[in-house]
Amino acid sequence: MQKKVMNLKDAAGLIKDGQFLGIGGNGLHRNPSVFCFELARRGLKDLKLVAAAQGLASDAICAADSVKEIYFGFFGFENEYGLAPGMRKGCQEGKIKPLEGP
Amino acid sequence: MAGLWGSQQITQIPELFRVVEDPFSGGKVVAVKALRPDYAILHVQEADEFGNARISGPDYQDILLTRASNKTILTTEKIVSTDSLKKDLKSVTIPHFLVAAVVELPGGAKPCTCFDLYDTVDPAGMKAYQAAVKGGTVQEYMANAVDNAVKGGA
Repeated sequence: MQKKVMNLKDAAGLIKDGQFLGIGGNGLHRNPSVFCFELARRGLKDLKLVAAAQGLASDAICAADSVKEIYFGFFGFENEYGLAPGMRKGCQEGKIKPLEGP
Repeated sequence: MAGLWGSQQITQIPELFRVVEDPFSGGKVVAVKALRPDYAILHVQEADEFGNARISGPDYQDILLTRASNKTILTTEKIVSTDSLKKDLKSVTIPHFLVAAVVELPGGAKPCTCFDLYDTVDPAGMKAYQAAVKGGTVQEYMANAVDNAVKGGA
C-alpha cells in the first residue's frame, strides 16, 4: 500500500479546470466543506458536480463561479437555512446548467 | 429504470434519460446515463495513511461515489493506524486503492455536521456563509474558514 497523506493545498491542487467531481455528504451533513472552500479559492473553471443531495460544500464551489453543470436530486440547505444561494445565483444568471436526476 | 415512467424528466432531460428497447423482453425501458466523476471528494471520521477509511453513521451515497469515480480524495477527522481499522474490517468501506489523497482535517465538515463528533449545524457559520454570498464577500469567508481549519480550530 502506498502512503497518500498530503496537505490541503496539495490535495486541492489535484483538481483541474473542467473536471467532474462527486461531492460527499448529504444536505448539511458530513460535507467535505473545508476542502471545497479551498477549491473555491483557486479560480477553477467549468467544473461539473454530482451528488444526490448537494449542500454547502457544492454551493461554495458554485458561489465562486467555478461550476458549469450540476447533477442532483436535491440541492439546498434544508430547514431554517433554506435555499443554496451560490447555486441559485449561478442558475439564475445562466452560468450553471442544472440537471435533475432521480 | 421502471420508476421513471410517468415523469416528464424522460423527455425534458435527454442528457440523462433515454427510452430504449429492452433486449430481453422487447419492451421499452428508461435508460439512465452512468456518471463517471474524475474524483469523489469525501469527509470521513477515520482513515489510515494509505486511504483505507471508515465512515461512522449514515454513509449516504458516499460509498457509491467512490466506486463510480476514477479516484477519491479524502479529508478525515483523524488519521488512524491500519491496525485500529483491522479491528472491525467490515466497517472499512473505502479501500486504499480507490484513494488518491488523504488530508487530516479535524472539523473539516464544519459548519455542517459530522456524525458523533459534532452533531448540530453551526448556525453562526451558516449565517456568515449566506451573508457572504449575498454581500459578495464569499472569497473572504472561504479564506477565513480554511485558515481556521488548517490551524486546527475549524
